[in-house]
Amino acid sequence: MLRGVSGTVDPGEMMLVTGPNGSGKSTLLRCLAGLLAADGGTIAYQENGTPLDGAERRRRVGVIAPDLAFYAELTVEENLAFFARLRRVPAARGLGVLSRLNLPLDRLAGNLSSGMRQRLRWGFALLHSPRLLLLDEPFQNFDAPGERIARELLEEHLAEGGLAVVANPSSLDFHHVANHLDLGA
Amino acid sequence: MWQTISTWALEATAVFVKEWRCEFRTRYALNTLALFAFTTLVVVSFSLGPLGVDRSHGTAVLPVLLWIILLFSVAAGLPRTFVQEEETQTAMALRLSATPSALFCGKLLYNLTLVLALEVLVTPAYVIMTSLEVASPWLLVAVLAAGGYGLATGSTLVAAIIAQARSKGTLFSVLSFPILLPLLVLAVELTRGATAGDPGGVAVPVLLLYDATITVAGLMLFPVVWNP
Repeated sequence: MLRGVSGTVDPGEMMLVTGPNGSGKSTLLRCLAGLLAADGGTIAYQENGTPLDGAERRRRVGVIAPDLAFYAELTVEENLAFFARLRRVPAARGLGVLSRLNLPLDRLAGNLSSGMRQRLRWGFALLHSPRLLLLDEPFQNFDAPGERIARELLEEHLAEGGLAVVANPSSLDFHHVANHLDLGA
Repeated sequence: MWQTISTWALEATAVFVKEWRCEFRTRYALNTLALFAFTTLVVVSFSLGPLGVDRSHGTAVLPVLLWIILLFSVAAGLPRTFVQEEETQTAMALRLSATPSALFCGKLLYNLTLVLALEVLVTPAYVIMTSLEVASPWLLVAVLAAGGYGLATGSTLVAAIIAQARSKGTLFSVLSFPILLPLLVLAVELTRGATAGDPGGVAVPVLLLYDATITVAGLMLFPVVWNP
């Protein structure tokens, strides 16, 4: 599906991946996240000088994807508390992220609107303060305030020396974009 | 090292607590297991109870039927363990967050409590309704505990394997057959021994060996099955 794709991203920078539907943007991000094993090629990523393989990347990266879902029977707070325990971060960290995103803590995840679900995905991605964010269509379903908050969070992440790979069908207005990979070209 | 073990145990406990919290709010597995167990229990007790079968035949047939009831009740509810994660698309968040072995153990613990609860409810009712005489009650308890553990572990492993397949129901049956058959043969034999007052001999350590083997196999295979 993906051939001849190459690129690098450094701390504080963002790589933008664009292309039409079915061009392989999501597949590329899944490979980077360690959720899919690539048939060939090399993915080299290191944190603090230590190279991380697919299994280690999977636990470290922050991921947003359209098909990333949460437990409909649990509330927003219970969902993030559960993943905080698995990620081994204090539950207070989850609450801090949720307050930034203006999410109703006691609402069942199954009763959230599509925009609120996207906010919850942002909360999940930032829960463990990852260095690398892999964001697949990160601003979809947002209203104007939601998109503003998400942009602020991404700006802060990059300003703190984090990295991001963002897949979007069209180009994004971000001055941090250091590398643009167009899979439709 | 102790810190690693304790954080791993906290992860497994978090999965276990999450499973029960979701289950208490949907009651999917509880209802399925209880309904199937109750229906088959009533059918068996009417057909082979005090009025349906004489005592000499009952001792031979009733232990087999007890394990058939337990097996099919488990098969009706436990395969959902991982299938539901895939169908509701929560599997990705779990893959990104959980240590595979801790996830397996958390799910196994949940399935084990379901199976043991099923056994606690079904077995006394079955013994009473079919007038089954148990000469060695403690052997029966031990067999139910060890057999239930094997059933839960085998089902959890198979549930993980089938979760990403298309024909999940068929595959569960096909894969469960070779994995659970030795366990069921041993469990039936020991249950028959418990009703007749036979101590069980070599079958008890073999059953425990089966439990240990399926646990190690599950812990080794699960990370490969679960992740790409």
